[in-house]
Amino acid sequence: MTDRVLSSNRLRGALLRHKRALAIGALVLALVFLAGAQFFEPSEPEPVGGPPMVRRLTEEQYRASIADAFAPDVPIVGRFERPVRAEGMIAVGTGQAGMSPFAIEQYDASAQTIASTVLGERRAQFLKCGPKNPQVFDPNCARSFLTQKGRLLFRRALSDEEADKYVDLARKAGRQLGNFYQGLELSLYTMLVSPEFLFRVERMAPAADGAHPQLDPYSKASRLSFFLTNSAPDDELLRAAESGELDSRAGVDRQVSRLMASTRFEGAVRAFFADMMQFDRFGDLSKDPEIYPAYNSDLAQDAQEQTLRTVIEHLITDEGDYRDLFTTRNTFLTRNLGIVYRTPVPQRGEWVPVTFSPSANRAGIQSHVSFLALHSHPGRTSPTLRGYAVRQVFLCQDVPDPPANVNFTAIEATAHKPNVTARDRIFQHATEPSCAGCHKVMDPLGLTLENYDGLGTFRRHENGALIDTSGSLDGTDFDSTNGLASALHDHPETPRCVAERMYKSAVGRDITWKERYYLDWLISGFEDDGYRIPALMRRIATSANFFTVTRPAPAGTLAFGASGGKSQGGKL
Amino acid sequence: MLPLRPTARKRGVLLGVTALAAAGTLAYALWPAQRLSAEGGSFVRDGEAGFVVTDFAYALGPDTQDTKACPNGMSWDVSQAFAATPEGKRRPGEDDEAYGKRLEDGGKRLSATPDGKNYCLHPELAPTDVHAQVLAHPDARADGIDLDGKISRSPADARSGRLDFVGRDGAKGVDNQFWRAVGCNRSYQSAGQSNGFAVEMYTGSWGILFKLADVDDLRNDDDVEVGIFANADPIQLSPTRKALEYATYAMDQDPRFRASTRGRIVDGMLTTDPVDVRFHHVVNGMYLERPLRDAQIKATLTPQGVLKGYLAGYTPVVELYDYQFGFRNAKDAAGKPSPPGRILGSSNGAARVLGHTCPGIWQSLHRLADGHPDPASSAFTSISTQYRFEARPAFVVDVETRGSNDKLVRND
Repeated sequence: MTDRVLSSNRLRGALLRHKRALAIGALVLALVFLAGAQFFEPSEPEPVGGPPMVRRLTEEQYRASIADAFAPDVPIVGRFERPVRAEGMIAVGTGQAGMSPFAIEQYDASAQTIASTVLGERRAQFLKCGPKNPQVFDPNCARSFLTQKGRLLFRRALSDEEADKYVDLARKAGRQLGNFYQGLELSLYTMLVSPEFLFRVERMAPAADGAHPQLDPYSKASRLSFFLTNSAPDDELLRAAESGELDSRAGVDRQVSRLMASTRFEGAVRAFFADMMQFDRFGDLSKDPEIYPAYNSDLAQDAQEQTLRTVIEHLITDEGDYRDLFTTRNTFLTRNLGIVYRTPVPQRGEWVPVTFSPSANRAGIQSHVSFLALHSHPGRTSPTLRGYAVRQVFLCQDVPDPPANVNFTAIEATAHKPNVTARDRIFQHATEPSCAGCHKVMDPLGLTLENYDGLGTFRRHENGALIDTSGSLDGTDFDSTNGLASALHDHPETPRCVAERMYKSAVGRDITWKERYYLDWLISGFEDDGYRIPALMRRIATSANFFTVTRPAPAGTLAFGASGGKSQGGKL
Repeated sequence: MLPLRPTARKRGVLLGVTALAAAGTLAYALWPAQRLSAEGGSFVRDGEAGFVVTDFAYALGPDTQDTKACPNGMSWDVSQAFAATPEGKRRPGEDDEAYGKRLEDGGKRLSATPDGKNYCLHPELAPTDVHAQVLAHPDARADGIDLDGKISRSPADARSGRLDFVGRDGAKGVDNQFWRAVGCNRSYQSAGQSNGFAVEMYTGSWGILFKLADVDDLRNDDDVEVGIFANADPIQLSPTRKALEYATYAMDQDPRFRASTRGRIVDGMLTTDPVDVRFHHVVNGMYLERPLRDAQIKATLTPQGVLKGYLAGYTPVVELYDYQFGFRNAKDAAGKPSPPGRILGSSNGAARVLGHTCPGIWQSLHRLADGHPDPASSAFTSISTQYRFEARPAFVVDVETRGSNDKLVRND
């Protein structure tokens, strides 16, 4: 018995020693592997950056900022003017947008309502101090309120001069109006119509000679926050900016992880894809109710939401490959959409997860109503519009405008001929030399999508004739919508396009000439990450180039180089 | 451990049950919705095809007003009946407004027993309405189908008032006694108001669904299952208020509003075996039921999924009177009896505006009833009733539907 115990102890000791050796070995191996991975993974090219931008808040960003600074139910009564799209994205257009008198009127109306709501009957919700006698001015309370809200609205701490200015304004107005709160209201209103709130003004931090200039910490915070949450920086991010955390890679990593883990991250991804898919154009979309009776404003809303839900489920929830968005049969439907998709949706007023069978001919977001209806005419389909949209939206390819002297009579002559398909109607596109140059890159894609009518309902016949759905995309031939889906999935420009758009959207400008190596690195990393969008966004947000800016050109010189001679965008 | 007092034990059990129910509800709410599989194809999928009724009206006949079909003219309402009395004659110097008011007042007096019981609520108490006209002419035509397989055109049938019609399309043996009962009423002419109850269907108040199953061939199939259901969802319309095809609708969960029978398709014509059906009906915010016994469908089915034809059967006379004329058993949206004032006002108002009296219609329906004889008295208790309908492709699902306002109620 004693021998057995002794030998057992020896065995245990031997095992322990081996275990220790094994653990040390594994650790060494892991370190070697990590070092190797570090060595072999291409590092980010030397950061070059681009010009700092002044970008106008989008409607969603304005609303989110007010909700964050005050409360989600604070009413915003003003209307927002049509956004400007540049480089295919409103996010880039915000850096090139001016402001019309109409917009100023609307901002003014919104600011008045917001200020009166915040400092009116509900002020106890937002203001934790105040004089016992409202006719008496309370400077400490005013300063506390205005500096706290000003920090959130301007996305930076107010300078002492600014704080003095707003407090003084509240004092004067309060005196004239005989009420402390009304004075404060006017001061808040003034902040809400300030360019410092309505525009994201990026500022450069002082840099040592020879060093790459970077954004100042507050501008870094804003860039991060709007990119990853589509809203203004929260208190924690502003604190990180103020404490210098955003000047270190570790500090940025920490904040990026925090923002991407928040529920708002999904909102940022939704905003990006709504922008990329040009959903703002639904506001102008109309359909002939006699031809497409199922179309109404509810359906238009549901169509956009369907695609965004599909995007979020696939890219965020399932952490899927971006390219699979063009082949996925998983989506969500409401009863409104079920009418167009010819699919039963059991519950009324609810979103139902659906997987289309292969025979349903629905693969990818390009087969969604949100794409098919948006890129069609009010009363019929358009292979050209759809083909153009596939090229432009998903592949970032430009197709030139038609020549000024295009002869439309050739099309008109057959446009109303009975019992023909779209392929017959646009025959001249392929045969008329002045048309064929451009149409041959658009129409073959759109003709495959002729399997969907102008709203998006699947069909096999048009005017009694079987639709010929053969088409091609840059050398890949197909004869079905499923074939087009695969071609889009496998097209090398598909991931490159979204990576480029994502970066442009993040910085609010076109890629500069010098950034082409950075973009290559980004796309290569995107591939290494299995084309995961969250990984791409993290890579952008934590890259050195993201915060790097170029110095403004000296006065009196031409500012070439920022975008290869293109617009500098948004500089005040 | 002290034994729990019975009340405490009960409270504990109650708390436990409540907690379990709450946990179950929460789990149900948080459980991810099951992903459905969506197929493509035509309106017939896996041998099943659903339809939503998009047009529904009584199948009647050619207009009879000012024709020999109604030799005594149209039925009178109570004001017209009062005007025919010596007391109801216009007095010298009486202006239109005063005379009109006196006619209305006189009509109201004719609408109730001397002790104030209104005849619309108690039609059985009323004397015979001699001004009520029925469509007795043997040459009168009617739309519809032969329900009993007999062609009743003998002199005895004519004397009894139970004479089969010849259809406008030449069909023989058409049983449509409801048309005989109302055929000489002005509101049942083609431009009349009484046949427009489908308006309520288009406001989403009620609807009808059909579902075919076991369909092998749309043109010829000797045995298909046919479901006839009340629609639990409002009909889906286009901006120009046309019914949309391929919408999803839930069948009513109350078994009284669900029926199933067998049928057959011959050269694209669907006919079904008789089955009792029941639908919802809404008038003036009053919720009613529209039953049809031994109901049969005879309708053509197009390759595009349009089902068009007749739904016909026998309506119990008393129930017909109540949903169409008297509203005596009307309920509100919560299922409680409708306010008596609304029932009284609606039934008397309808009779006055539409040109009949409650007793007159009650008596005509009973006199012309032709179905379901009472075993004891041999008196017929139901009257043949024909509807024409059109139905279009829809997805018919068997789920408990929820209105969009339910979320507000649940405070989601």
